[in-house]
Amino acid sequence: MKRPILLIMILPALALIFSLLVWPLALLFVSSVQSTGNAIGAAPGRAGLSLSNYVEILTDPWYFGALVNSLWLSFSVAALSILLCLGPAWLLVRGDFPGKSWIRALFTLPMSFSGVIVGFLVVIMLGRIGFIPQFMESLTGRAFLSGSAYQFTGLLVAYIYFEVPRALLTLESSLKKFDFQLETAARSLGAGRWQRFFWVVLPNLWPALLSTFSLTFCVSLGSFGVALIISKRFALMPVEIFQQFTGFLNTGLASAMCIVLVAIAFTVNYGLRMLSGRREVPSA
Amino acid sequence: MKASRTMFVLLGLTLAASTSFAEPKVVIQYDCIPNYANWGGVTAAYEKKTGVRVPPDMKGSSAAMAALDAEKRNPLADVAYYSGAIGFQAAEKGLHQPYKPAAWDKIPATLKDPEGRWFAVHTAAVAFIVNRAALKGKPVPRTWDDLLKPEYKGMIAYDDPTWGGTSYTLVYGRNILMGGTNTDFGPGLAYFRKLDSNIVHYPRESVYNDVLRGEIPIWINADGNGLKMKYVDKGDIEVVIPEDGSVSMPLVMGMVAGAPHAKETKKYLDWLFTDEAQALFAEAFFMPVIASALPPDLASKFPSNKEYEVVRDLSLADMSAAANSLKQAWLDQVKNRK
Repeated sequence: MKRPILLIMILPALALIFSLLVWPLALLFVSSVQSTGNAIGAAPGRAGLSLSNYVEILTDPWYFGALVNSLWLSFSVAALSILLCLGPAWLLVRGDFPGKSWIRALFTLPMSFSGVIVGFLVVIMLGRIGFIPQFMESLTGRAFLSGSAYQFTGLLVAYIYFEVPRALLTLESSLKKFDFQLETAARSLGAGRWQRFFWVVLPNLWPALLSTFSLTFCVSLGSFGVALIISKRFALMPVEIFQQFTGFLNTGLASAMCIVLVAIAFTVNYGLRMLSGRREVPSA
Repeated sequence: MKASRTMFVLLGLTLAASTSFAEPKVVIQYDCIPNYANWGGVTAAYEKKTGVRVPPDMKGSSAAMAALDAEKRNPLADVAYYSGAIGFQAAEKGLHQPYKPAAWDKIPATLKDPEGRWFAVHTAAVAFIVNRAALKGKPVPRTWDDLLKPEYKGMIAYDDPTWGGTSYTLVYGRNILMGGTNTDFGPGLAYFRKLDSNIVHYPRESVYNDVLRGEIPIWINADGNGLKMKYVDKGDIEVVIPEDGSVSMPLVMGMVAGAPHAKETKKYLDWLFTDEAQALFAEAFFMPVIASALPPDLASKFPSNKEYEVVRDLSLADMSAAANSLKQAWLDQVKNRK
């Protein structure tokens, strides 16, 4: 009796996943293994299948560089946002102080901004005449950090800015499940501060860190609006995809780039979850 | 029971309304964005004059061409408006039918297809849009060579030419001005490689506000954008037509092949080349294609005729033929420096 109801309940989600994820991915894949020029969803050309688009991504220094940049930026952003958020998340779970919900709301605000807005914010703060360089100039006479919005620094700041809420919420919900009595027990058994951290807290926290990492990494990997606004020469995969689509109508190469990103995101997500020893979906 | 009766009455009213409102004549124009080139004012004036409505349409050039292509067998639009090279492409694809508006002979020969498959309605010119306050005492650049001076380091921007028609025209045009051709991009790209060290970044979104604010002191773009900053937004802006040469950017139209309201469309196109309509375009700082139509009070706001003397018209055919290879070469040799 329960089964059919359950089936009916998951049907809309299944239909959605099929029509918005599986089917488009299949179309992308088909388009990616053809030589250039075919519109997505068009019938396969007579030229037959070809891996030339994938070969181009891996051998062309610019595209390969964009891929490496994307991975490096996403890795740095994920690692740094965990470092930044661990303390606040701990405080939100354990601490009890006035205005706690306000602080949480403040931290999670950036999630509601689109990438384009974050890009403009970074330009206002770190642009050529940004607030920080102007302030530095009034203090020291030199406009330090002027124009850094358009460099790697700007991208890093912007990405961390919108990953902080995700990292914070994920860490907080995982920390809530953390059994703090374990730490108390370790202390009463005579373990020192660092001993407790490395041998009790960290191993128990590990899954939370990994799931937070995989979430922030994957979101950064696909994020696009900020880079579109501010990067001058720092190439990132999502921007290259957009460029191939709109600038050159090169759907084959763009599709192949999409598939590569999806494959990496999936591998990281799945791999980290295996590593953390549980198959739950990271809560976000 | 009662609800369904209300529904019937409403349905009847809607039907009555739609039949009575469908009566007035229309001309359908793709890419008819009200706040671009004053299309809102132009179409309102036409409706007031003739009763013929030209509804707004928010498609840009490329989307307009794509839509016409998709509807080829059953055309819905009567006319379309584009940035030059795209309108040319649409004509080449056979999406237009020839028509020569009444004022045909007054349109300069370089700005129309001899057969009437496309024709410019107004033009813009490549200019340096300079925020004087943001220069902080440095001289306003007057020539392309001035832009290369180290004092402008990190102060100049031009849009990524792979994203926008305006910037593509500027890169293509600069190369022609320097002696390049539509297959030899060497001279132009060498210049842009040198300019690169003074570039803040290559925007892919409108930086109109960044220029007004002074974040970007020098923007190479269409003169009309700078004039709008100066006269509408009252910025401390100077619009410089480079003394050592510039190029024009025609904005063109074409009558759609199989246009459903052909008779009205021809009248509308004729009217767009009257002094009245041409002056309305000039209010948004697009230069009328019929030069005599520019009202004196507006003319004084544009750069002078002497300044415009160095502006060259480009061959849209060559420009659209070179599009993909030049964009790629710019990416490889200027932006990405492979």
